[in-house]
Amino acid sequence: MSRGSRSFVRWFILAAALCLLVSPLTGAGPALAAEKIIKIGTIFPLTGPVATAGQRCQAAVQTAVEIINNKHPEIKVPLANKEGLLDGYKIVLVHADSQGKPDVGKAEAERLLNQEKVWALIGAYNSSVSKPASFVAERMKRIFMCGSSSSAALTQRDMKYFFRLAPTDATESVDFVEVLKWLNKTKKAGIKTLGVIYENSEFGKHAAEEAKKAAAAGGFKVVADVPFSPGATNLNSEVQTLKGSNPDAVFGAVLGADYSLWVKTMKQAKWLPKIVINYCSGYQDPVIAKQLGPDAEYFMGSSGYSPQFASLMPAVAPVEKIFKSKTGGVPFDGNSIQEAVAMLVLAQAIEKARSLDPDKVAKTLMENTWDSPLSLGGKVKFVKGGQNVQAKSIITQLQNGQYKRIYPEKMADAKIVFPMKPWDKR
Amino acid sequence: MMNTKVIDLKDALWLLLLAVLALLPLVPFVSGSFFGMHVLILVLLFASMAQAWNIIGGYCGQVSFGHSVFFGIGAYGAGMAVVTYGGLPWGGILAGMVLAAVVAVIISYPCFKLTGHYFAIATFAIVEIFNRAFLVWEWVGGALGLDYPVIEEGLANLMWYETKEGYYYCALGLFVIVFGIVRWLESHRFGYYMRAVREGQETAESLGVNSTAVKLGAMAISAALAALCGSFFVQYNLRVDPPMVMSLDMSMKFVLVTILGGSGTLAGPLLGAAVLIPLQEYTRAFWGGLGGGVDLMIFGVLIIVIVIKEPAGIIGILAGIGKSLARRGGTAQGGA
Repeated sequence: MSRGSRSFVRWFILAAALCLLVSPLTGAGPALAAEKIIKIGTIFPLTGPVATAGQRCQAAVQTAVEIINNKHPEIKVPLANKEGLLDGYKIVLVHADSQGKPDVGKAEAERLLNQEKVWALIGAYNSSVSKPASFVAERMKRIFMCGSSSSAALTQRDMKYFFRLAPTDATESVDFVEVLKWLNKTKKAGIKTLGVIYENSEFGKHAAEEAKKAAAAGGFKVVADVPFSPGATNLNSEVQTLKGSNPDAVFGAVLGADYSLWVKTMKQAKWLPKIVINYCSGYQDPVIAKQLGPDAEYFMGSSGYSPQFASLMPAVAPVEKIFKSKTGGVPFDGNSIQEAVAMLVLAQAIEKARSLDPDKVAKTLMENTWDSPLSLGGKVKFVKGGQNVQAKSIITQLQNGQYKRIYPEKMADAKIVFPMKPWDKR
Repeated sequence: MMNTKVIDLKDALWLLLLAVLALLPLVPFVSGSFFGMHVLILVLLFASMAQAWNIIGGYCGQVSFGHSVFFGIGAYGAGMAVVTYGGLPWGGILAGMVLAAVVAVIISYPCFKLTGHYFAIATFAIVEIFNRAFLVWEWVGGALGLDYPVIEEGLANLMWYETKEGYYYCALGLFVIVFGIVRWLESHRFGYYMRAVREGQETAESLGVNSTAVKLGAMAISAALAALCGSFFVQYNLRVDPPMVMSLDMSMKFVLVTILGGSGTLAGPLLGAAVLIPLQEYTRAFWGGLGGGVDLMIFGVLIIVIVIKEPAGIIGILAGIGKSLARRGGTAQGGA
C-alpha cells in the first residue's frame, strides 16, 4: 500500500471517528413531519438466533399499518374500509432491532421514545426483551403493545400501559395437560410421566415452571427437567437425558434453530416419546417445519393461527396476501399474526378514544371488548395487568406438512396420530 | 537564537485530551439528545471496562477472555443487594468488587501456569463455566435473572428513570476512578513490574521481580475494577441475567475496545470506546431497523478496516497523523 493511500485511510478513519463523537451531542434525529402522523415504534429481534421470527413479526405490523392507512374494502377487519385514523391521521412505523438482547431492547425503546418521538411501542417477541422495554414505556406513560411474548410474568406486574395479546405459557400448560388427560381417557394412552425441555431464558424457564405446575395438578409425574442454552450447537447430552428418563410425553419450549437441532438430535438418538407438545415458535415456524420435512411430522404444539385455520378465520386470507408479499410467500404463524392484531387493536382504541392522549387510549383499551377477526376467538379483551383474556389457541399436529387441528375436539379437522410414529417406520 | 518549538506534538495531544476531559462534565448542559447521552454513557462505561482489562491484558501482557465473569460478579453484587435483599446497591457493589478480586486470584493462579494461547483458551472456558452455573443457580435468579423493582430514583438507589444526567455523572466518576488508578499504577513501581513481566517473564524474574505475585495482583485489581463497571451496567439496565453479562460476547468487548484503541497505553481504551461504541450504537440506530443485520455488517467491516490498516490501534493512527504533520511541517520549513 502506498504512503499516500495509507495516509488517506488514516485521515478518513479519524474524520469518521470525529463525526461519530460529535454526533451524540447534537439532538438531531429524523425530522418530524408536522401534520397528521402517528409514529409507532417496533422492536423485534431482526438479527440473532430468532431473526426470521422477528422479521416476520415486523412484517405483520407493517401489514396491519398498510390496512389502517389505506382503504381495503375487500378486507373484513375493523378500519380496513377507511383511510387512516382520526380524520386523516396516518401511522408511520419506526423500526428497531433488539438483537434478542434485553439491554439492547431497553436502549432501543428509550431511543424510539425520546429521539424518534414515537407515540407507542409494539414488540418485542422475546419475553426477556419485552420486560425492560415495556418498563421504559411504562415510566414514560406510553403504551406498549405486546403481541407474542408469552411469559406469564409480563402481565403480573400491574402495569397500566402494557397490553399483551398472546396466551400465556400458564394457560398453554393447562391446555397441554388437558390433551394428555383426553388421550388417557379416549385412547387409553397410559401417559403417566412427563419430560420438559426448555431454553434457559425468561421464556423457557417460565414455560417449564408452568408446565411442572400444571403436570402436578393433573396427576402426572415430571421425570426429566432439561434446560439448555439458547443458540446451542449441540443438544446430544440433553436428548440423552430425556432418553434415559424415557418419559411418556415431552413438553418443549424450544425456539428457532434450536428446535431443528433438537428434532434432528432425537432422530440421531433413535428416540421419541409417545407425544411431544411445544410452546411457541420453533414448532409453529412454517419455514422450520419445511426445512425439517418428514422429520417434523407428528410433533404437536399450540397455535393461535396456521393456514389450516382458514375455515375458522375467513378474514385472514386477504390480509395474509399482503403479509406474504413482504415475507417472500411465508404465511402468518401464531406469533406474527398476534403482532398484526396488536397494531389493529391499538388503532381501534385510538379511533374510539378520539384522542392521542396515551392515558385516554390506555383506558379505552382496558374498558372495551374489541372485534378481532384475525384472532382465533374473534375478540380481544384486556384485564388488569394487560392480559388478553380472550386469547385462544388450538393444539395442532403436523401431518403431511400441514398443521392439523386436533384439540379441542369441536374445532378439530383431523384425528391425532398417536403415539408418534417411530423414526424407522417413517 | 530563539527556540520556536515551544510544545511538541505528543504534549499537544495530551493537552487536547485533558481539555476534552475537562469539558465532559458540561456535556449534559449542552446536549439536548437523550440518545446522545446514552451513547456517551456507554462510551465512558466501555472505556472504563477496557481500561480495567488493559491492566492485565495491556500492561501485564496476559490476554484474558474471562473478564465478563468479573463484570458479571459485580453486576450480580449490586443486583442482588437491590432485588434479593431490598437494600441499597452500594454494599453489593463493594462485595462484588472484593468477590471478583478473590475469584480472579483463585482461578488465575492455576491458569497463570499456562502461557500464551493456552492461558487465553483457559479463560474462555471459565466464562462458559460461570455462565452455565449462574443459569441454573436459583439463588442468583437463574435463567430468569433479576429484574429491578420500581423504587425511588436518585443517587442513594443509583438509578434514574426519565433522565440520563445522573447516570452520566456516575459514568464519568467511574471513568475518573478507573483511569486515575491506572495512571497511578503506570508511574508506580508496580506498573514497571507489570511491563517487565509483559516484555519477558524470565528476564523480569532474573532481576528479582516475583512474576506470579505481579500477575495475580494485576488480575485482582483488574477484576475488581471490571466488577465496579459491572455494577454500573446493572444499575443502568435495571436487569441482569447471565447472557447479558457473563458471555463471550461481553468478554470480547473488553478485548476489542482495548486492542482497537491501543493496548498497553492509557489513552487507548478511551479512544477505542470513543470510536467503537458510537459506531455500534449509531449503525444500529440508522440501519438496525432495516433487518438482516446491515448495521452489524457495516460495523464489522469498519473494525476490519481499522485493524488491517493500523494494527497498533487508533493510537497508532493518531501517531501516524502526527508524524505526517511533523514531516509536512519540516518540509515547509525547509522550503522557506
